[in-house]
Amino acid sequence: MALVEARELTKVFRRPDKDPGLRGAVKHLFTRRYTDKVAVDHVNLEIEAGEAVAYVGPNGAGKSTTVKLLSGILVPSSGEVRIDGLSPRKDRMAVAHRIGVLFGQRTQLWWDLPVSESLAVLRDIYGIDHGTYKRRLARFDEVLGLDEVLPVLGRKLSLGQRMRADLAAALLHAPPVVYLDEPTIGLDLAVKDRVREFFRTVRDEGTTVMLTSHDLGDIEGFCRRLVIIDSGRIIFDGDLEAVKDAFARERILNVETESVVPLERLRDALPGAAVEPGETPTQFAVRFDRFAMTAGQAVTALAPLTNLVDFHVDEPSIEDVIRRVYSGELELDAV
Amino acid sequence: MKGLTGYRAYRAHARAAALSALAYRGSFLLALGGVAFQLIALLAVWRVLLGNGDAGSIGGFDWPHMRSYLLVAFATGALVGGFVDFRMSHRIRSGLVSLDLVKPVDYQRARLWECIGGVWIEAVVIVAVAGLAVLFTGPPQLPAAPEFGLFAVSMVALVPLKFVVSYLTTLACFWTENFVGVLWARQALTGLLSGALVPLAFFPGWLATAAQWSPFAGLTSTPALIFIGQATGRHALLLVAAQLGWLTLLWFAARALFDRALRRLTVHGG
Amino acid sequence: MTTLRLLRLYIRLLGAHMRSLLEYENDFWIMMAGTVLMQVVNVAFLAAIFAKVPAINGWSFWAVVAMFAMVAIAEGVGSLFFEGMWNLAWQINQADLDYMLVRPYPIVLQVSSMQIGINGLSNIVTGGIMLGAALTHIDAHWTPARVVLGIVVLLSAIVIKVAINLATNAASFWMQSPSPLFAFAVHQAGDLARFPLSVYPLALKATLGFALPFAFVSFFPVSYILGHGSAWVGLLTPLVAVYCVAVAAWVFKRGLRRYESSGS
Repeated sequence: MALVEARELTKVFRRPDKDPGLRGAVKHLFTRRYTDKVAVDHVNLEIEAGEAVAYVGPNGAGKSTTVKLLSGILVPSSGEVRIDGLSPRKDRMAVAHRIGVLFGQRTQLWWDLPVSESLAVLRDIYGIDHGTYKRRLARFDEVLGLDEVLPVLGRKLSLGQRMRADLAAALLHAPPVVYLDEPTIGLDLAVKDRVREFFRTVRDEGTTVMLTSHDLGDIEGFCRRLVIIDSGRIIFDGDLEAVKDAFARERILNVETESVVPLERLRDALPGAAVEPGETPTQFAVRFDRFAMTAGQAVTALAPLTNLVDFHVDEPSIEDVIRRVYSGELELDAV
Repeated sequence: MKGLTGYRAYRAHARAAALSALAYRGSFLLALGGVAFQLIALLAVWRVLLGNGDAGSIGGFDWPHMRSYLLVAFATGALVGGFVDFRMSHRIRSGLVSLDLVKPVDYQRARLWECIGGVWIEAVVIVAVAGLAVLFTGPPQLPAAPEFGLFAVSMVALVPLKFVVSYLTTLACFWTENFVGVLWARQALTGLLSGALVPLAFFPGWLATAAQWSPFAGLTSTPALIFIGQATGRHALLLVAAQLGWLTLLWFAARALFDRALRRLTVHGG
Repeated sequence: MTTLRLLRLYIRLLGAHMRSLLEYENDFWIMMAGTVLMQVVNVAFLAAIFAKVPAINGWSFWAVVAMFAMVAIAEGVGSLFFEGMWNLAWQINQADLDYMLVRPYPIVLQVSSMQIGINGLSNIVTGGIMLGAALTHIDAHWTPARVVLGIVVLLSAIVIKVAINLATNAASFWMQSPSPLFAFAVHQAGDLARFPLSVYPLALKATLGFALPFAFVSFFPVSYILGHGSAWVGLLTPLVAVYCVAVAAWVFKRGLRRYESSGS
């Protein structure tokens, strides 16, 4: 039996369809009209113990809603959720001990308490003994540098400090399952690296992780499995490496030329790459496979044709992957 | 020139406050609710005590007079109500005051105009309640013409006077985080000493006299007594003069205190 | 989770906020002073009336003081131990209940323990003094049985006030406002209960007796303890308390379910 199971999980939000203002409110009293928004549409998901799953999708796709359904914060309109065989609705207390949650946009720390006190309160709520607690705090300090954050009041934390503290709070009771919803949002690179290293430690200890993020860097080197959701439906569920091999090899070299060069000549100069026009007659995008060609080689190939005023190299984002999968370009192991 | 452009700026403050009163009407009406419930309770109690108009009289008040007194007390309580305290104190506690201080308007006067802007909604409620009262109990006995004029003056002076008392209280925000405690203390004191809870005549002699000539009297007792005819002629005139005198004194005291508060702000930081 | 653990954790949660409260010593004393002053003014107000009048509908000065005292004590307990529920409207508005739903502790207790209203302490003490003074000035025939029942009735009255607070704050689940306007309004209406119920017209009496049973916070409990009027009704207070707690719990549960099904 999988540790986390979602079967035909559906969540429909019913919003009253009101015209704005007083007139609309009165009208609504007589003729009730609702619009149904299907946020999560018959999602089937099985996560085995120890897996690290990336759960991605465009904004509004239903990612956060799924996480809330899987943690018992929202009740499904239909379908089932099972955590370790338990229903979050019926056995809320038991499930609470088995899951940890981090919502990147919001903190669970108390505003008027120092972080150390917030964690101590959580320790007592979860019933963790002092020895284990000390040990875990020491571990958090090792990987996240938590000690410097401990005395700071909740409301005075910087974003980086807050995220580290919230991670500690989410994992304090060493739950077997952890949901991380946008855990690196707004963080600077130094903190991101630290936090990502922490994720790897967590996974290596056997915790099952479900990670929602817009940042490919969070997922790479951490999640084996990629699940893509769009408009409430899972449109892809498969191996991340396979996807990367097929897609993440691509690079885009954006160039701005000094003089206008006809597209054909550029294409002749760069066989094996796809050249597309840019926004102005002197801008072009060169798409190439980085294992077949390097950016340097591309630039060298263009040099005889014209001087280059400016150029930069783009890496594909997870959004590009999603777009590609959605448009049908990527079909591997589709659901 | 400065006076003219200044006036327009202040009117803008008033207008903004008038609109915000509408937007925050929930909280606004809630502040009025407290005064309303107090009115109901006191009306009920005094009706029982004064025997429903059967020639009973206590402390010089019979039922029709007490009823009118309580209604005026309601009106004075509703004007410049609790919402004003919170709006002003919120500015300071939230740090918005730093934005205000940069504007080319006098801080105290700007707050006064905001207060005036909010008065319209309070006035509407007062008229509604007065209308209901008249409906149930018939029109009240109005005082003679000169006294009525004094009553009107007193009611008009009430607005800036209540404002400056509120304003002084909110300045406490510069010295303490716990504005609520200060507010409760002030509300308790003014409630008692202004005659809003019980006419000043009911206090022992020394207290009654002290209260009558204190700034508090102008908040409820003075206009109420003039309206029901218990203060007439020279006495009424003196009371209103005292009210205006206190208004002037407190206005300038507030300016002095604000300057000290600012100095403290710049010394201690945000 | 056992009841004992529930209770111990609750004290623990409350206690966490105590330290941050005591940090600002000046503010602490200002708060205390403000609330004490409020009760002093109440007593002065009553003294002024009763200087000219022997009784209100048969209720003497000390009897009415006892009623004011009950309201103060009940209010104080609510502030000291359950202040957090006044934040519920804001929490719902900000969707801050999410994390609470994931912790293994009842949400209603997490919410109400979020804050301590230290003014509750001064209200309890001042109210206690008022009540004590009132009791010494009234002849009531005290038997051990009466004392025990009296205490039960008093405790029930406090429970009723807290339950009404909870139920009205739980109404926030259905409202969009970030502040507990409805709960505040009802709270202010509760001030009417400081006076003997008999002064009010029938409609108001019925409201305060049944719909919003504030009458059972002060009037009926004090009636029983002083042996005034229909004292036997005061004995119903514990039953009313049970009823109020049940209603409050039900409203909160329904509200929570609404939160869980509609998000925010």
